[in-house]
Amino acid sequence: MDLSIDFAGLSLRNPVLLASGTCNYGRELQALTDLSALGGIVTKTITPQPRGGNRPQRIVETSAGMLNSIGLQNPGLDDFIADKWPFLRELDTPIVVNIAGHTIEEFGEMAARLEEVDGIAALEINISCPNVKAGGENFASNPAASAAVIKGVRSATRRPVIAKLSPNVTDIADIARAVEAAGADAVSLINTLVGMAIDIDKRRPLLGNITGGLSGPAIKPVALAMVWKVSQAVQVPVMGLGGISSARDALEFIVAGASAVQVGTASFVNPNAGVEIVEEIRNYCVERGIEHIGDLVGTLQV
Amino acid sequence: MIDEKVELLANDEVAEDFYLARLRASHIAAEVVPGQFVNIEVSATHAPFLRMPLSVCAVDRGADTIDLLYENMGPKSSSFSRLRPGIETRCLGPLGKGFSAPITSARAVLVGGGIGVPPMIFWGRTLLAQGVDVALLVGARSAAKHLPDDLLSGCSSDLRRATDDGSLGHDGLVTDLLREELARGECSVYTCGPHAMMAAVAALCIEADVPCQVSLEEYMACGIGICVGCVVRVKNEPNNSAYDDYSRICVDGPVFDARHISWEHS
Repeated sequence: MDLSIDFAGLSLRNPVLLASGTCNYGRELQALTDLSALGGIVTKTITPQPRGGNRPQRIVETSAGMLNSIGLQNPGLDDFIADKWPFLRELDTPIVVNIAGHTIEEFGEMAARLEEVDGIAALEINISCPNVKAGGENFASNPAASAAVIKGVRSATRRPVIAKLSPNVTDIADIARAVEAAGADAVSLINTLVGMAIDIDKRRPLLGNITGGLSGPAIKPVALAMVWKVSQAVQVPVMGLGGISSARDALEFIVAGASAVQVGTASFVNPNAGVEIVEEIRNYCVERGIEHIGDLVGTLQV
Repeated sequence: MIDEKVELLANDEVAEDFYLARLRASHIAAEVVPGQFVNIEVSATHAPFLRMPLSVCAVDRGADTIDLLYENMGPKSSSFSRLRPGIETRCLGPLGKGFSAPITSARAVLVGGGIGVPPMIFWGRTLLAQGVDVALLVGARSAAKHLPDDLLSGCSSDLRRATDDGSLGHDGLVTDLLREELARGECSVYTCGPHAMMAAVAALCIEADVPCQVSLEEYMACGIGICVGCVVRVKNEPNNSAYDDYSRICVDGPVFDARHISWEHS
């Protein structure tokens, strides 16, 4: 049974990665899971300058999921390279570095700077964080702006460029086509859905940032429909994520058209979730006589 | 720290809406220190979805057990309260940084409010065993919300209670009792409870120049530092990056030096 895949030029030992913002910079999970058993990990988003993030409360549990409004708390590009990368580069797993800028130019500048750093497998471009006022949402909901970001990154790096798309748009396929035309090697979707929760007694929002991003099993059907739609709209490979917490969830995304998947919020409940999903996918394939995981990609019959 | 498969041995209501769960958890029992917590799975389904973070209130290393004391006040604790002895679940721990020993004196004052009392029990017993003189000050809304004496036995040499409605012990705030203790001279203070109570305790201690450790609580998802959700604003050094404006309660705490917390922002 062969779980390995080629994804946008990356050779991955299996199609299961840990999603950005759900594994920090790898170190905390090392004692609790075998990072080398994963297809890869995607770092928490790095911005050009350090960010303190949003005021608490940053987390609230909702039905079959949770809202977060972290606000991209991160050490900034310089400290990432100095403090986080030396640990990450020693891991026996491909590392995708997720970046976000405030302006179109900043995305390209970050990609250029990271070009000098050895060992990065790919860049995931976060044009879709719902918790940051400047940037984020503004790019993701506009095909031309999304394309401009990707074009700038494309010209600054030889590495695979994965555009991470927002579900908070009118037609995600439009955005996917725009970033593909601008040179993205792949797309990943979905980022979180904008949501909120209210304390009715105090009549105040539960999150310090008022709204946040919804993740977890609650969003899986939405993510799946969008992955299916986008995989038909573009030629580049699709990385599917959104509420995956079991191998069956992951296989749904693969059948819908995702060549690889990311496990996110599930790691908060079970820090070994990603590795367990890899093993369960393998068991499923062995039982069903599926020799290559790639044979399942996009096999949905409608 | 591991994600341990644990067996629930008991799970009983011990005061109004307060439950005491005993778990067989050999790894956690061997490793845990006072002030640390666990993140326990209370449902095998997605309802509730996240685990429940709870501080450890007692440990029996001979029997490989830990005790968790919790208030039944929401969907997660309600789900936990329905679990029956005999079931197995997963428990991640021990997590976070616990209390550290008194630096300045052999007298410790522990201030607990409401559901902040459990870590005080574990810490009080540990300090008493080390020969430290321990005063335990406990505040609650009413007599019914106070834990029974037997749960608090053996964790202090002087137990004093306060109630908001005067139905038990001092009629007023637990911080009134703390003022009296501070007036008695040198001590170290440890506190866990509602945020407003801890802020008041911290202010009194800072004013009196008495060392104070606070065990903070915030909505938490992972418990291991990967979601960066359960943060507190800290007094950042001017030369530090904005990245250090907030500390993660689950890994940098839950116990902090009261002087390091930016109370005006929290």
